[in-house]
Amino acid sequence: MSRRYDSRTTIFSPEGRLYQVEYAQEAISMAGTAIGILSSEGVVLACEKKVTSKLLDNDGSAEKLYIINDNMICAVAGMTADASILVNNARINAQSYLKTYNEQIPCEILIKRVCDVKQGYTQHGGLRPFGVSFLYAGYDDRYQFQLFTSNPSGNYSGWKATSIGANNSAAQTLLKKDYKDDLTLKEACELAIKVLSKTMDASNINSEKLEFATLSLSKVEEGKVIHKIWNDTDVNALIQDSGVLNDKSTEDD
Amino acid sequence: MSGYDSALSIFSPDGHVFQVEYASEAVKRGTCAVGVKGKSTVVLGCEKRTTLKLQDPRITPSKICKVDNHILLAFAGLNADARILVDKARVEAQSYRLTLEDAVSIEYLTKYVAGVQQKYTQSGGVRPFGIATLIAGFDKNDTVPRLYQTEPSGVYNAWKAHAIGRSSKTVKEFLEKHYQEDLSEEETIKLTVKSLLEVVQTGAKNIEVSVLRPGNAIQNLDVDEIKKYVDEIEAEKEAEAEKKKPKKD
Amino acid sequence: MDIILGIRVQDATIIATSKAATRGISILKDTDDKTRELNAHNLIAYTGEAGDTVQFAEYVQANIQLYSMRENDIELSPLATASFVRNQLATSIRSRKPYQVNCLIAGYDTKKDQPTLNWIDYLGTQVELPYGAHGYAGFYTTSLLDKHYRKDMVVDDGLKLLKLCLKELETRMPIDFKGVYVKVVDKDGIRSVELD
Repeated sequence: MSRRYDSRTTIFSPEGRLYQVEYAQEAISMAGTAIGILSSEGVVLACEKKVTSKLLDNDGSAEKLYIINDNMICAVAGMTADASILVNNARINAQSYLKTYNEQIPCEILIKRVCDVKQGYTQHGGLRPFGVSFLYAGYDDRYQFQLFTSNPSGNYSGWKATSIGANNSAAQTLLKKDYKDDLTLKEACELAIKVLSKTMDASNINSEKLEFATLSLSKVEEGKVIHKIWNDTDVNALIQDSGVLNDKSTEDD
Repeated sequence: MSGYDSALSIFSPDGHVFQVEYASEAVKRGTCAVGVKGKSTVVLGCEKRTTLKLQDPRITPSKICKVDNHILLAFAGLNADARILVDKARVEAQSYRLTLEDAVSIEYLTKYVAGVQQKYTQSGGVRPFGIATLIAGFDKNDTVPRLYQTEPSGVYNAWKAHAIGRSSKTVKEFLEKHYQEDLSEEETIKLTVKSLLEVVQTGAKNIEVSVLRPGNAIQNLDVDEIKKYVDEIEAEKEAEAEKKKPKKD
Repeated sequence: MDIILGIRVQDATIIATSKAATRGISILKDTDDKTRELNAHNLIAYTGEAGDTVQFAEYVQANIQLYSMRENDIELSPLATASFVRNQLATSIRSRKPYQVNCLIAGYDTKKDQPTLNWIDYLGTQVELPYGAHGYAGFYTTSLLDKHYRKDMVVDDGLKLLKLCLKELETRMPIDFKGVYVKVVDKDGIRSVELD
């Protein structure tokens, strides 16, 4: 029935729905999970690495985490190729704002601009929508630390903790249960690990299956934002600290 | 089966432009928005989706947007589409000021918004905007309240009171029954809230209301103020129900 | 021979602009306001090629207003406003027909609670200053301002200093500039002031 409305570009179905956009969202719900948690000290982004091969040469760069500018990072769920186009667009937008106004771009403005591009691809001819959802972690002097998601329709929303990709509703439930408004950044990191360890299929998690990044304020220089994409050693140490491995091993016994 | 709806927007043999009709369906899936004109005020009200526990309350894009200092626009339908359309309206409002040294009239802006919507029903390779809008305000140096509505097709109309979006039919029927000319500001707000309560069961926290007065005076009511109206309306309803009871006995 | 002059004091920035609109040797009117309000806390004062000035100021005004609308009444800060103006002029100077506009931007940063005065010329030079002027006004008043400006001045002191400058201008300027409009930008916004 719906085939007539999805063979072409994005057009309305008789019920007023945009199937292409919904299908794109569907595709994302099968991609690796990404989780974001906001704390008063900073934001944490964690994602599940889906494809891991022993032969993959790790050049140290993250696969699903991108630095947008000095104040923002993002995590991706969905088609990585589509994502890199939008990330590039976001980076250019951020610099062009900085050039014009001599101030860092406020998070919401940047997200709005990226979402306007996404929206365009759901309305203008001959194109398919972008098959990616984003988690953005950012800092600005309007609202301090912030966490956003955006999806292929071009909608965005702000969150205290959320997840995108596979098992996102399960992750959301776990987050809802364990999130507290006064989390420290450390606690937020551990919560992210805890939630991921439960939503991922893998029996035990380690740095090979995880990517991890945090955004926090520098203790030395006022107003300076530090973004850190974690290396394997740090991730493993955090996993150790969070105690998920211990829980697992006792379960196995 | 005809295939006339798969080419973007063309006529079918019986004279329908399906894409436009389907876009109106998208509007009906959006949250409800209401506009009511009083004697010297216009009030816009919107149904607001509940913010989830983990959602950041600081950042929830409102469905009532400021287009210029004297104009508000409320919409129903696809959020992302609305953002684009509202932005076009904002640019036009400023560009009009720049060329004509005057604020846009509400009717002009409505005509512009409707014009953009029309263009997207007739140009190649685009789908129509999946939104309807209510545009409200006062012209410069004028005290006559204005309220317009635009549709995905590009049609626009002036209204005394109107509703768009989910269950708008119920709300429109309610407004037809209860609307009176020359309402005071209080009464206008109350009628707006009351009509929204027809479709919003959860009370003040799921309603947003903006009040426009002559001379760029725009006020967004906070939850407590809306709650006052909701409580008042509920008390009246109860009193009425009480009155009816003894008759039944 | 337009006069625009700005003085930043502790709690506000003061702007004075001459009322005369001149063309060649004639004064066309004596009620010309050479300022535009960009948003609630930013005022631009301009001089330069007639026509270019108003066109440019209003273009900038429309853009700053558009920003406020898009951001739901969150205003652009004085630094961002001045940077935007600078950027526009810097782009313009590299075009076929550049704007010949010099300006002062008086602002009040409501976040940091401090007044600012930005001096920008048609080449795209931008500096934050305690006091500044464009054109002839600068020649006659800079020395006075250098001598009498104090960091701890408030609005009233600033207005007194301004009066001193105006007296000097009235004495030295070769033409009658028909007095000045004085505007003050502080935490409450922009207001006009009558000098007695």
